[in-house]
Parts: sequence; structure tokens; C-alpha cells
Amino acid sequence: MKFKDYYETFGLPRTASQDEIKRAYRKLARKYHPDVSKDPHAESRFKALGEAYAVLKDPEKRAAYDQVGSQWKSGQDFQPPPGWGSDFGHSGRGTDAGEDLDQSDFFEALFGRQARGTRQPNEHARGEDQHTKVMIDLIDAYRGAQRSISLRTPMLDAQGHVVMRERRLDVSIPKGIRAGQHLRLAGQGQPGYGKGSAGDLFLEIGFNPHPQFRVDGRDVFLDLPLAPWEAALGCSIPVPTPEGTLQLTIPAGSAAGRQLRMKGKGIPGDPSGDLYALLGIVLPPAGSENEKAAYRAMAKAFDFNARPLMRGDPP
Amino acid sequence: MSNASPQPVCGAIVEEELQLTLVELCQACHVSEQVVITWVIEGALEVVGDVPQDWRFTGPSLRRAKLALWLTRDLEINPPGVALALDLLDDIAALQAQLQRSAAC
Repeated sequence: MKFKDYYETFGLPRTASQDEIKRAYRKLARKYHPDVSKDPHAESRFKALGEAYAVLKDPEKRAAYDQVGSQWKSGQDFQPPPGWGSDFGHSGRGTDAGEDLDQSDFFEALFGRQARGTRQPNEHARGEDQHTKVMIDLIDAYRGAQRSISLRTPMLDAQGHVVMRERRLDVSIPKGIRAGQHLRLAGQGQPGYGKGSAGDLFLEIGFNPHPQFRVDGRDVFLDLPLAPWEAALGCSIPVPTPEGTLQLTIPAGSAAGRQLRMKGKGIPGDPSGDLYALLGIVLPPAGSENEKAAYRAMAKAFDFNARPLMRGDPP
Repeated sequence: MSNASPQPVCGAIVEEELQLTLVELCQACHVSEQVVITWVIEGALEVVGDVPQDWRFTGPSLRRAKLALWLTRDLEINPPGVALALDLLDDIAALQAQLQRSAAC
């Protein structure tokens, strides 16, 4: 387990005031919240910020962290000091919605989990709902899939200590699911208290980025580069789709920027999405003498002005 | 300890198959009913139904409520500000989607 320098996360010295920590957190959280940021690492950065803030905003936890932390540097192998009692699990305020179930091992070693056994709820209260995020591939949304997820649920043992119970859950991802949607798995959240029923588990679905396809809702987009003669004369070419290759007819006289719709070839549903090929035209380089001659022949053959609306060109 | 379940668990797609009640949305977000009611009154969340007992939250409500909670708790934005921020974020998402649709090679 590596030591985490929570001050470094915020770029602050250990002497920073509570106000400075709050301001730094807000500034960075605004920048890296996954719903706000387009940074590819936003998710993990935001998670790290949340964890660091959970410790440093709480004077009690901060003091405990400072006591341990003064002897360690970021990235060093870390073991909690002997006799370290993580009693924080009993004084926490419960997990917040949207917080993932995967705080770092480092955080857990120092502070245990905050979620369970903390509220002294009614004897038979319902268990809390939990949230986590699952990344799937685009093809999984086309075909449906199964994912095995690992959940760590904090529980109180017989002595009243918080212990982590790990459990694997095989989840069926339904065909047609879209990024940003949630699956509710009834009764798969935290166990109930006494005879109370278990909470629900909410899985937020995200798509792994794909090198070729972009997704908006159920519609899928693909850039399709064409040679000038393919666009001008029309052609039939094989086009990749998430489900395999399709033969696509490019009409003669296709301009760059034109969209060709393959109806119903997007993410399945009612109605299914469409797959769009966005046409682009790639100019072949005129390297060899033959190639240059071909361009010259074109120039001769065409009565073509690329800039009809611009002045200053020769007539 | 690990115990794999023999059959994969099936869930319901919140945005398509479910209409969450006020109680369910509060449980999912770990917030009080009063907080959610304020968000509804300020227009941060849309509901179907006349009185809170009959309210049903559909479509993007869960996502918006999670975001509203973050804006409220961590950035200390008040409910009208939350409603504004959510609408602006939706506008930005729509514009980005439009850009993506027309971004050719």
C-alpha cells in the first residue's frame, strides 16, 4: 500500500487553513467533476480529490492523518503504525450518494469505512442504497453482456469493529443500455438492520472510449475518409459497424461533411438508434512524377474554381 | 470472503423502466425529503404528479439529483443556483453532442 499525500492532491502545504483546503477542493472539484470535465482522467482525479477532502475537511481526521503523515512521503510503501485503531468507522456520517464503493486501501487502513453501523438507525431499518460505476464496451450495449463486479461492503463484526466484506456480483447488462443510464439492482445494496430489507444497488453505466465510434444517446458516429474519386464518382465500400462490416454505397458527388445514415444500426432499442458515417475527403499526396501528372491532367480537365466567392484570383 | 451468485442479477434501467417515488429518490441519494422538495420547487428536478406523495421522478432525475447533491454539499450552491447550473450543464452537453455529430475526419 502506498502512502497518499492528501495535501499534495490539493497542492497545499501542511500548514494550510481549513478555509484554504475548502477553496482548493472546490476549485479542483469544479474542474474535475466527471459531469463537468472533459478531461480523460477526470473520474480518477475527482475520486482522489473526494478522498483527500473527506480527510482534510474533518479536523479530527486531519489531526490523525497529520500525526501519521509527517513521517511519510507520497508513494512510499505504507503500513499503519502499530496500535493504530481505526475507530473512525464508528463516528462517520454515512456514505454519500454518488460516492463510489472503492475508497483506496490507504484510506481504509487509516479510517476504516464510514458507512456502516454509524447512524444507530431504527432497529429494523432498511439498508442504505449503494452506487457504483461500471464501464462497458459499446458492443455490450448492442448485444447485452455480463459483468462481474466486486463490492466491498462495510459490516460490523461481533465486537463492533468495522470489517470489509467482499462480495462478487454477476450482473446482466441489458441490450440497449446507454452511457449515463443507471441500473437498479433491487436488494443488492447494504443489508438491512435487524429485520429491515436490504437497500438497492445503483450501477451507473459508462462506455469505454472507442477508437472508431462516437456515441450520442442511441446514435453512433463514424468518420469515413474517402479518396476524391470515390466521393466524386460514387462507390461501394466496406464500412465497420460495432456489429461487423457492412457494404455501404457512397453516392456520386458526395461532399465532405455529408452524413450517410444507416437506419437502425445504432444502439438497439425502441426505436433503435442510427449509425452515421461522416464523410471526409482525403487528398492523396502528389509525390511521384506520375501522381503530379495526374493532378496536372485534372487541372486541365476541369473548369473549376475552388474559391468562387473570393476576389483577387486570376479570372 | 467471496461468494459468487450462480445466476447473473438483472436490474431495471432507471431512466426507462422505473418511475422513482420521492422516498426512493431520497434513499438513492441519501438526502431528506425536504431537500428534494426544495429542488423540485426551484425547478432543479422535474416531477410527474401533484403532491409529493404522488410524485414520480422519471428519465434523468436520478442523475440530476446526484449532481444537485454534489453542487449543494460540496460547492454550497443554493437551490436556485443548483437549478441554473444543471440547466447550463444540460445545454453544454447538448452543444457538445451537436459538435460531435458534425465532427468529420
